[in-house]
This record gives sequence, C-alpha cells and structure tokens, in this order.
Amino acid sequence: MRNSLFPLKKTSHLAATLIVAAALAGPTFAGSITGTVKYDGPVPASMKRPLRMDADPGCAMKHTDPVLPEGLVLGEGQTLGNVFVQIKSGLPDKEYPVPTEPVVLDQNGCKYSPHVIGLMVNQPFKILNSDGLLHNVHSLPKINTGFNRAMPGAVKEAEFKFSKPEFMFKVKCDVHPWMGAYIAVMSHPYFMVTGPDGKFTIDGLAPGTYEIEVWQEKLKTKSATVTIAGDEAQTADFTFTPPQRKK
Amino acid sequence: MGFWRKYVFSIDHKVIGIQYAVTGLLFLSCGFCLMMLMRWQLAYPGQPIPFIGSWLGDTRAPGGIMLPDFYNQLGAMHGTIMVFLGVVPLAVGGFGNFVLPLQIGAVDMAFPKLNMISYWCLFVGGVIMLGSFFLPGGAAQSGWTSYAPLADIAPTGQTAWLFGMIFLITSSLLGSMNFIVTTIQLRAKGLTFFRLPFFVWAQFVTSFLLLLAFPPLEAAGVLQLMDRLAGTSFFLPTGLVVSGEILQVSGGGSPLLWQHLFWFLAHPEVYVLILPAMGIVAEIIANNTRKPLWGYRSMVYSVIVLGFLSFVVWAHHMFITGMGTVMSSFFQTTTMIMSIPSVILLSCLFISLYGASIRFNTPMLFALAFLPMFGIGGLTGLPLGLSAPDIALHDTYYVIGHFHYIVAPGTIFALFAGIYYWFPKATGRRMSEFLGKLHFWPSLIFMNGVFMPMFIQGFAGVSRRLADGGVTYSFAGNVTPLNRMMSWSAWGLALAQLPFIINFFMSMRSGVKVGNNPWHATTLEWQAPSPPPHGNFTQDIVVSHGPYEYSVPGQKEDFLPQNQPAEA
Repeated sequence: MRNSLFPLKKTSHLAATLIVAAALAGPTFAGSITGTVKYDGPVPASMKRPLRMDADPGCAMKHTDPVLPEGLVLGEGQTLGNVFVQIKSGLPDKEYPVPTEPVVLDQNGCKYSPHVIGLMVNQPFKILNSDGLLHNVHSLPKINTGFNRAMPGAVKEAEFKFSKPEFMFKVKCDVHPWMGAYIAVMSHPYFMVTGPDGKFTIDGLAPGTYEIEVWQEKLKTKSATVTIAGDEAQTADFTFTPPQRKK
Repeated sequence: MGFWRKYVFSIDHKVIGIQYAVTGLLFLSCGFCLMMLMRWQLAYPGQPIPFIGSWLGDTRAPGGIMLPDFYNQLGAMHGTIMVFLGVVPLAVGGFGNFVLPLQIGAVDMAFPKLNMISYWCLFVGGVIMLGSFFLPGGAAQSGWTSYAPLADIAPTGQTAWLFGMIFLITSSLLGSMNFIVTTIQLRAKGLTFFRLPFFVWAQFVTSFLLLLAFPPLEAAGVLQLMDRLAGTSFFLPTGLVVSGEILQVSGGGSPLLWQHLFWFLAHPEVYVLILPAMGIVAEIIANNTRKPLWGYRSMVYSVIVLGFLSFVVWAHHMFITGMGTVMSSFFQTTTMIMSIPSVILLSCLFISLYGASIRFNTPMLFALAFLPMFGIGGLTGLPLGLSAPDIALHDTYYVIGHFHYIVAPGTIFALFAGIYYWFPKATGRRMSEFLGKLHFWPSLIFMNGVFMPMFIQGFAGVSRRLADGGVTYSFAGNVTPLNRMMSWSAWGLALAQLPFIINFFMSMRSGVKVGNNPWHATTLEWQAPSPPPHGNFTQDIVVSHGPYEYSVPGQKEDFLPQNQPAEA
C-alpha cells in the first residue's frame, strides 16, 4: 500500500510546487520586438586605421593580423554590431529578479571582449585576464562607485558589482590606452547587444506600448515606439547615419 | 604616582624618551615588515606571498598575489613610517628626550606637560597612519612625498595620511620648542655653549630645523586636505585630464607648489634624520677612542652652517620639473657648498680615530660602521645634486640606494649604537656583547647586500616605482636578477635583528648590572644614577670644563667628568 501511494504523493508534491512557483513568478508573456540595426554612411578613416599596440610588445605579439578599432563594427549589408538595445520605458514598475550567473568581461589580445556590456544591478561582474599581461580595469561611472583594479599577469580574475542603475559608462585600461569598453547597469532584463549582423530580439514582453532605444558609442541613440497587443512579434529596425558636423 | 601617571601619561623626560624610543622601534619594525613584503614582490613578481599572502584579502593580494596598488601603498607607507614614525621619534624624541636633559645637567625638560602632549600627538598620528590600511581603497599610495595632483585625487587613505601628518608635525613642533628652550634655559651652572656635548648641539640644531621647516608642510597638508575635502584647487591645474576625462574642478592651482612646500620641509628633514645620528656617533667615538673629538669647534660650526644651508637646497629634488637653468644653477651651487660642512663633520670623526687606542665594543662597532656607510651615502648624493647627472638618475634605484645608505646603515646603525651605549643608563644593566656582535656583523653585510646593488640597477635606468621590479622592461633584463639577491639580503637582515631583540629583552631582566658610569665617560648623564631617579641627579651639578676630557695628562683616570675639577 505504502509503495503504491508513494509515487502519487511525489507527483502531487511536484505539481503543487510548480503551481506555487508559477504563481510567484507571475504570468509569462510571449510578446517580442525584433529588428536589425544598420549604418548608412561611409566608414570614417579613423575606424579603418589599425590599432598600434607596439607600445606593449606583449600585446603586439598576440596578433598576426591588423586589429581594427571597435567603435564601428559592421557586418554584411552595413549591419551594425556593438549596439545596445533596451526597453527605455513602458515596463511595469517592479523589481526584476537578478541573475546569479556573472557577466564576463575578458581582457584578451589587449582588447575587451565583449566591447559593450549590459548587466543588472547587483549582478556579479567578472573580469578575466586571459592575456596574462599587466592590465588595469578602470571603470568611470558617475552614479555607482567606480573601481580601478590593477591586474598583473598572474591575477586572472576579479569580481565586482554595481549597486545602482546607470546607463553607459566607460571602462578603460590605463596601461593600454586603446582598450575601452562600455557598461550599462540596468534595473530590468529587457536589453541586449547586437552582434555584427545587427539583429536583436527582446522577448517576454507583456502587452503594452514600449519605447525601444538603441545606442551606439559613436552614433549615440535612436528610439521608436512599439505597441504589443498580445503574444505577437513586432519589428523595429533602425538605421544610423553619420553625425552631422557642426558648421 | 599612580601607574597611569608614571608609565603612560608621564611627564618625566626619561619615561617619555623611552616611550618615544619604544614607539619608534615598533614602527621601525613595522616599516621594515612592509618593505619585506615589497621585496617579495620585487624578487618574485606575480607569485603568491608565502605564509601571509592569503591573509591580505582580495583587494590587496587576491590569491596571495600582490596587486600593484597595494605595492604602492606599501611603498608610500614604508617611507612615511620609517621617516616620520620610526627614525625621527627614536632619534629626536627618544634619544633627545632621554639624553639631552641629562647631558646638560637639567632635572627635566623645560615644559614637561608639553613633552607628554608631544608624545601623544605622535601616538595618535601613528594610529591614524596604521589604521588607514583598513580604509576602502587602502592606505595612501602616492609615495611618501604625496605629490599633487596624484595625491589630490587618490583614494581616502590619502586623507587619513594628511590628518596623520598634521598630528605628527604638531608633535614635532611641540617637541622642538621644548628642546630649544631646555637647551638654552636649563643648562647646569658652568655649562657654556662650547662645553655642550656634540650630541646636544646636534639635537639643538635639529630642533631649529623641525621648528622652521615643518610649518610649510603643515600648511601644505591643510591645503591638500582642502583640495580633497572642500573642493579647492590649490594644487589642481585647470584642464587636468584624469583617465581621459577633464577633471571637474575649479582649477588654477599649481602642482609644483606642493613640491616646493614639501621639499622645503623634506630636505631639512634629511638633516633631522642624520644630525642626531652624528651626535650619537660623536659621543661614542670620543668615549671609545679615549680622546677628545678632533675639531670639536669646527664640528659645532659645521653643524650650524649645515642647519642654515639645509633650507636653501630643497629644489635639488626638482631639477627635472623644468624650473629653469638659473634656478637649477642656484640650487646645485648651494648643494655643493653644503657638502663642505658635511665633509668637515665626517672628516673630524675619522681623524678622531687617528692614533687612538680604540675599544671595539658593540656601540663602537656600529658607530665605526656609520662612518663609511654615511660616506657612501653622502658621496653618491653628489651626482644627484648636480642637475646634469640628476636628469639621468632621477627616480631610479640609484636614488633609493643613495638615501638608504644615509638613513639605514647610516642613521639606523647610529641609533643602534646609541641604544647599546645608553642602555646601561636607562636600565642599570649592560647589553650582551656577544649578541651585540652577532647583531652587528650580519647586519653590516646584509645592509650592503640590500643597498649596494641598487646603484647598479639605478645606472641601468630601472625606475624606483615599478611594482614588478622591472621584469616587464627589456632594458632592465640584465639587472633584475639582482632583485633576488637584495630581497634575500633584506630577509637576512630581518633575521640579523633577532639577536638584538633577544639581547634587548634579556638584558633588561638579566643583563650584567653596572654602575653609574660603565663606559668611563665624561659627559653629565653618567654622573646620574643608573637608572636616574625622577629629578635625575643626586648632587648639584657644576660644570668646570669641556665635554671630552679623555686621557688628560697628569690625571689619575683617563677620563675627567665635566663636573669634576681637574686634579692639580
């Protein structure tokens, strides 16, 4: 008798747990916004000039091919990478769960990888030193507490957190002045960074009207308003043009 | 008198002197430990520090591997602790307080309560300095010189450094006033200025240096504090770019102003470190050669001239700031002139040895070692005093080697000599000669093992600021193996101090008991009981002759104390 009842009990426990978890997590939504970010214009000469890393022979030795700056990363068809896409407004005002897995910034080949990073408030931020060279990671936030951590070759890892939302500040290496990355500390999880194909998808959105904003370090921001009626996929494409020079 | 009044908040110059000395010795060992950590990083960069590496925490040494920021903290605090909390308290506060009133036949310092306050200011300053290691961002890390604008924008530890310095400077100012008044007002009957022991002269001139040189640094410290806390820009120029961004400050300040104010103190400070040491060495040489000091008057005049000149040489630390050839010429000329009294002093001490029947006891060994070590330090300073070679040598290990020869095997050896020499006066017991020699010989060898290779590295162009000892710089490749030799010498030097520590504590309890005058010395402190009671002397002191009446012809003994009339 006992043996036959036990599996039943286990199943009912599992079901109860799932119900409670679903109630606590709130409803899930399937609304999403997808799109592509492109660049329409000539590539400035400064973006075609390879970086000079010979100030530190240890860096220069890590590359056989020329390394281009990452200020304007283009894919096929002028698609634009390293663009930070976020829901700027329209989200319900609530606290979102913070992921426990860290966002990783690697120092590899005397470059930061990735170049643009989004992470949530209090999400662990792990910095790696794959180069095995002396770097220093100098963050320059205005709202959060900054850090300036030297990482000699033997120090492979450091971990930090940012306690307040702050959109875009720079991280730089004072040893290698060409190294730079950008960080956005977000209060919600609805953001992503495009790859060279310029594509993005932000999903899990409830029905509503949202302002979606895209940011690129040289070309600044563009935004659009998108309304999601139900479990549907909306599209928002963006095209950046070179900034007008002041006359 | 209760315990607290007698041993803690005492107003007796001897207790305060011992408080200063013990505090100074503790800080010297603390500064030495910081240096040993640095030497690990220099010899084995990137390798975990053994034994204690894991205790240092992730912000200082993750996985036991020292971060460069922490190395900078150790460097800045090593310099600060050794100079302001180690050598000055021991040389001036310790020996000055304990010996000077006794040597002039006084019952105490002129202002005993001020004396107590002076010590406790030092104590508070020391606690602030040490406590700053535990602040967010750690202790000060802009060098012991705290150059602006780097120090203006440094983490919180720099603020603590400035507060600590204000206490230390206040302590020195109160102490120096006390020494000056005591020397002028409280000399025993018959003790004219030219009957003063050379040690008193050295302390007297040192006190003037402290009194006149420290106020500009105190003012500079307050200005830097205002830059950091009140938003002023005394040392921050307009358009200062920090990490690629223009610093949002009102600007208009001058970073060079800090350097002028700092070195206006810090060069006389070098003489604050060296003159009391010379005073100690002079006493011990006269006593152990059983001869009067050769050229006592010229030594006195030299020390006075040295005191004056030390105020007009400060910018020789700043030849590469681009202050112009006219200014450089002026300061290199004054620097060269200042070498004359220094050479007179050292020559007098050397010539004093000529023809003497020398007693090679432990204090004398340390005093004798002081002479060539200080000589090396002084002579290697000459190229730095001339602007042309200084351009090449500035900020290299050559500079570190130079000034460490002055203050480590120089001053610190003299301080050890003084401890061995006056220990019987303070305790009534003598320190062990065997352990003393076991302390001296390895210390002499290891000191040179630490500092001599620095000249070689300096000539090769290795910067003094590198947290990895130069391994990432190809030009330094030939001389970086010396780092390990220097580091092992430093750790050997630490071991060589064990006989001293054992000797110090053991002799306090079970050293051979001695009388009032175990060295058969002539100066007045040896006429007081050992240890001297409150009030110092049990008889009236009337001085009838100079301080070094050794081997006077026609006398029964080979020494004639200052207060004893010569036999007819």
